[in-house]
Amino acid sequence: MAQRKPKQSGPALAPMADEAHETHEAHGVAARRRPSRSRADRSVADDDRSGLFDEEFLKKLEYLSLVARKTFAGRLRADRRTRKVGSGIEFADHRRYSSGDDFRYIDWNVYGRIDRLLLRLFEEEEDLHIYIMLDASRSMRIGNPPKLHYAMQVAAALTYIGLGNLDRVGIIPFSDQLHEPLAASRGKRRIFKVFEFLRNVRVGGLTQLGPCMDKFAHQYKRRGLAVLVSDFYDPRGFEEGINELRYNKFEPFVLQVYDEREANPSLHGDLTLVDCETGELKEVTVSRSLLEAYKAEHDKYCAELNQFCTARAIPYFRTHTKLPFDELVLRIFRQGGFLR
Amino acid sequence: MSFLAPIPLGVIAWTAAVTAGLAVAAYILKMRRRRFEVPFSTLWQRVLREKEATSLWKRLRRLLSLLLTLLVLGLLLLAATEPRLGAVDRDSRSVVILLDASASMKARDGGKDGATRMDAARAAVRALLEGMGGGDAAMVMRMDGQTTPLSRFESDMPRLTSLVAKVEASDTPADLRRALGAAADALRGRPNPMIILVGDGAYDPEALASVTWKKPAAGAAGAAPVAPAAAAAADGGKRLDLIDMSGIDVRYQPVGSSGENVGIIAFNARRYATDKTSYEVYIEVQNTGKRPARRKLVLYNGDLATDVRTLELNPGERLRQIYSRGGGEDTVLRASLELEPPAGAGTPAAGPPRRDVFPLDDQAWALLPARRKQHVLLVTRDNLYLEGAMLVYDNIEVDKLTPDEFEARLAAHKLPDYAAVVFDDYTPAALPPPPTNLMYFNPQGEHSPFRLRGQVAHPHITEVNDNHPVMRWLVLNDVNFDSSSVFELDRDKGEVALASSVRDPIMAARRTADRKIVACSFSLGSTDLMLRVAFPLFLVNTIDWFASDEADLLTTYATGTRARVPLDGVLGVSEVTVTAPSKRVSRAPLVEGQATFYASEVGVHVLRALDRPAGRAAGRVLAEVSLAANLSSPTESNITPAPRLELGGAVLAAPEGFGISHPRSIWMYLILLAAALLCAEWLTFNRRITV
Repeated sequence: MAQRKPKQSGPALAPMADEAHETHEAHGVAARRRPSRSRADRSVADDDRSGLFDEEFLKKLEYLSLVARKTFAGRLRADRRTRKVGSGIEFADHRRYSSGDDFRYIDWNVYGRIDRLLLRLFEEEEDLHIYIMLDASRSMRIGNPPKLHYAMQVAAALTYIGLGNLDRVGIIPFSDQLHEPLAASRGKRRIFKVFEFLRNVRVGGLTQLGPCMDKFAHQYKRRGLAVLVSDFYDPRGFEEGINELRYNKFEPFVLQVYDEREANPSLHGDLTLVDCETGELKEVTVSRSLLEAYKAEHDKYCAELNQFCTARAIPYFRTHTKLPFDELVLRIFRQGGFLR
Repeated sequence: MSFLAPIPLGVIAWTAAVTAGLAVAAYILKMRRRRFEVPFSTLWQRVLREKEATSLWKRLRRLLSLLLTLLVLGLLLLAATEPRLGAVDRDSRSVVILLDASASMKARDGGKDGATRMDAARAAVRALLEGMGGGDAAMVMRMDGQTTPLSRFESDMPRLTSLVAKVEASDTPADLRRALGAAADALRGRPNPMIILVGDGAYDPEALASVTWKKPAAGAAGAAPVAPAAAAAADGGKRLDLIDMSGIDVRYQPVGSSGENVGIIAFNARRYATDKTSYEVYIEVQNTGKRPARRKLVLYNGDLATDVRTLELNPGERLRQIYSRGGGEDTVLRASLELEPPAGAGTPAAGPPRRDVFPLDDQAWALLPARRKQHVLLVTRDNLYLEGAMLVYDNIEVDKLTPDEFEARLAAHKLPDYAAVVFDDYTPAALPPPPTNLMYFNPQGEHSPFRLRGQVAHPHITEVNDNHPVMRWLVLNDVNFDSSSVFELDRDKGEVALASSVRDPIMAARRTADRKIVACSFSLGSTDLMLRVAFPLFLVNTIDWFASDEADLLTTYATGTRARVPLDGVLGVSEVTVTAPSKRVSRAPLVEGQATFYASEVGVHVLRALDRPAGRAAGRVLAEVSLAANLSSPTESNITPAPRLELGGAVLAAPEGFGISHPRSIWMYLILLAAALLCAEWLTFNRRITV
């Protein structure tokens, strides 16, 4: 049973139910307490994140945590069950008895019927790993405030909810490669490390979902829920990245973040459009009809993503940065998919 | 459509080519575009790929914007050519209107309610301007003692009319010759030139005779003017002062009705040279009308009437009179002609009171030079001849001191202020302070006012500076001298020789900023000059020069004349202020002590030289002189209007052919259309229609 830990000074959070554990999950990656900044991306990491996780934010986190607890009250540990045979109490399967097996698990009813010795197998109850895949590419800098800030707040909120549910939560920023992660760990007291980690996340690089998810799937052996928080502006498409997760037995959870001005830009006249990731230049003369065509194209792109996820029973949420993050999280609660 | 083209068409064509080229280049050249960062250009590329199918229409819309800009530029340039609707006006004329603003135009016979001829002339000019055709260009010149263009050639008749409304008649006579010359020069090279003279015809006949003119034949209004060389050859007389008006259509519009006038055409006064307390007055009065006239002539000395007499003049009679007067301290004399009241005046039978039609020449002023009594000190041991000669001049009061007494009183500061001190055979070391003037006889030593270089025996005066006021009317060539010192004069210091003996100056004068000095290098005891008539005259001239009493100073001028007036040797001042009788203050240049005076009004003018430029804070008055100006013009006083004028032997016809026409200028509409197009282009751009 968890032992109450004394309340810690600082933001008013609920007492921790368990001690924080840091485990290292990714093989081959040196464990670091603090991710360091890359020199190449220093120029884009100077956005002010000091006010992201202020007292107001923490209050909202607490509220969300209470809502989550009320919604799924009665469950003590590791709500999600993995389909793994182990020492649980729920019957999972039979197998043939072999010499040396524990005869206490022999299903005598089956023996009485078919005169064969079979062992009863039970489900293994273990805690779920939640991986928050945070898009830290350059396109996430767009917006005022930047989409990245919003994504960070959402990631922090989901992390807190997950930690509150005794799940192991890790945060892995990515762009054209996987950035330094925050290793998955359990315990609500970890949340401050999460804040600190998010404040120091590097921003930069292209959006390459496919290679990053492929690499992730190969590096992280413990399967679990992979929450993709991104704008999904990958020139090669979003399908490859999401499929990599699916094919590698991860449970994708898609959360698309966009800025309203991306979907509905107020441009006109002769402009040179600069892709913030590739640096590609495109001279355009923006007229009203062109703007309307762009808006339609953007909506179509998001609809494609939605259809893709829906067709594959992948939870999908789309939000703009003006929607308060707590509203989004509550919607996620209502729709389900993150908490069960 | 026709074009006035105030700007040459070549310039407009060149401007059109340059501006159109700039406009096209601005569209063709890649302009710096705003850069805008987008997160996902792939979406934009998809959209633009679809839009490429309609790129032709997009190019056409941008071309529309370029065409609009070129159209606006074209409208602006077209407006600059001043186009006019309708056929080319072949009868457009270049007209110079000479508006007579001379003194005679102040005669009050221009119409009812005491309107002057000037009012009638302005109305006539207004009618001419309003009746000008759409293609006519007019210039109005004001004609009096000077010729003043009021505008350049323009077709804006309302503006010209407003300028004409401000013209008032002056006190100066008309200088027709100068006006015709200016008009002919202004019309040189212009199409269909025409001069219209609007006035009363009171002009100097010599002015009309100094014009070379041949009346253009009917229908030859567009003929090019004859070149001046050809005109001179045709004339054969080779008069260089002739004004060539060949090829110019000259018309005359008379104004005025009455010719009855009696005026003062000359008035002056002067003091007697030997008795400056007395003076004589000269006056000339003429009846220019066709009926006998009766007037009362009053002479005033200041405000005091000193003489009143009745004059009866026959038509055309000119009366001259000279009065001798004595006494009277005031220096301003005025003559006034007044209408005699008719018999039974004040009764209904007498009818309405008569009024002088032309009152300007009924008043005349004359100034007497001011008399200033001079307090003179004679420093001499004993010289009866000198003392006696001083007594000749009753305008001086003489004191006498010996040299010792002079030095003692000067040292004790008990010497009164004298206008002049005469040193006889005495050269003091200390002098009375300025502005006391000094006269020396036989100065010696280092304190001599002029440097001495030796002696000459038995000098004989061979050269006399007659231009100097001190030497006026003096005969010295038979004066005997035993001996005399010789002065060495420094011309840079303003020292001038008054009399010389074969280039050896023995009489000299100098004026500085604060005093004047006259010196004779000989002793009175070594000459018989004191026995000559020239000696007292020399003393009188010297004292008068000290007192700035210029006997030759003219103080009365005719209006419209320009004269150089000496201002008592004022140096270091470049201009003087002139206060006219109307209290209007103007400035006149002062060069080498002489001011240029232009008499513009009848009355007394005051010229002042200040030690500070006019316009700044008032400074000390360095010199002041009063001058009188009178009309004094028989031509202007003869106000009988001339119903016709002859020029070159031909009678000048009245102006005709001025019909009321409607303005057909459309340049303003073009400007407005261009502005409307600019607004439309701005709207379409901002509405992203032409973008």
